[in-house]
Amino acid sequence: MNKCTESDIQEMLPDLLHRALAAGERQRVEAHLATCESCQEDLEVLRTVKSAAVFAPAIDVDSVVRQIPPYRTIVPATERPARTRVVSWLVAASLAVVVLGGGSILLQSNGPLTSRARGQQPALSIAKVPDATKPSLAESVARSRTIVQPTIAPHPHALALAADADGLSDGSLVQLMNDMDGFDALPGSEPDPVISVDSGDSL
Amino acid sequence: MNPSPEGRPEETDMELINRWRAGDGRAATRLVGRHSQALARFAASAGERDGIEELVQDTFVRAFASLDSFRGASTLRTWLFTIERRLMLDRRRAERRSRETVPVEESDHVSEYGALDGLIAEEAQERVRKSLDALSPTQREVFTLRVQQGLSYREIAEVVGSTEGAARVHYHNALKTVKEFLKDE
Repeated sequence: MNKCTESDIQEMLPDLLHRALAAGERQRVEAHLATCESCQEDLEVLRTVKSAAVFAPAIDVDSVVRQIPPYRTIVPATERPARTRVVSWLVAASLAVVVLGGGSILLQSNGPLTSRARGQQPALSIAKVPDATKPSLAESVARSRTIVQPTIAPHPHALALAADADGLSDGSLVQLMNDMDGFDALPGSEPDPVISVDSGDSL
Repeated sequence: MNPSPEGRPEETDMELINRWRAGDGRAATRLVGRHSQALARFAASAGERDGIEELVQDTFVRAFASLDSFRGASTLRTWLFTIERRLMLDRRRAERRSRETVPVEESDHVSEYGALDGLIAEEAQERVRKSLDALSPTQREVFTLRVQQGLSYREIAEVVGSTEGAARVHYHNALKTVKEFLKDE
């Protein structure tokens, strides 16, 4: 028996068994089989193997289906940030509680400084400078003639330290700076120009 | 599309999948009924003896749970075979660990396949079984998927995790071995 050289026909023999060939292909294979003993033999082997499929138990379809969970729609990716936002808010709220709670504890621990800073015999106190925007004429004349040392002209809403801060701890200084941040106006870091008047020309 | 027994055109697997996604439980029944016996035969051909029903059931449960990952690039049956084959490999690994035996290679499949004695009654089946015993596990998988299940080489390559060319070579080597075995018998 001659060996078949039509490899594409040989490849299609299992498909012929499973009736998976298009009409044209099937006719071509069947025409070849009529004259090729090698392919006839191959097809017989394949038919034997196919029909001798090993025993397999019958499957109870209903019992299988009962085990299948219902379809659950997967949450689209665009909706995921909503969950993230909730988590973010929770984290932010937690941080706020921690910060506020920690701040309260810090204030409690610095109680004496706080009370001093608020007017009880302060070692360091902050007092408002008297309003000097509208001095009387007599005061102005007198001041212009007596000023010999440069002085800082007070700002209308300026503040002045009434005591030195040498004795304060670092924590107290930080607290003081924080308190100062809360005021409407602070003295400028640079002094205002001093006007020294020797005569009444400036008046 | 083949006609159904009622004369209506048979729904495709993808149409049934979409119906199941829409909440139609009967679509799942149709899909399981359509493919369950092929899965059982494949498991038996691959040497599974016990728990084939459970294996088929696990295959469907896993497949339906991850049906969103099935894009239809291959046929549903090929995809199911792939899942079932992985489950069989997992099961064999677990059995090997439980037996605490040395890692089993080619001979393991042969011995499991040999356990099918008694299930095959007729003489022709016995001869075929013996001829398949002479194949390597991969040859046997490829050969039975091609001859008994009718899968294409591309589908077989997908199931066994190989290439079309390798599947073709395995098929022809297996056919030659089986042919010689049956001729000598």
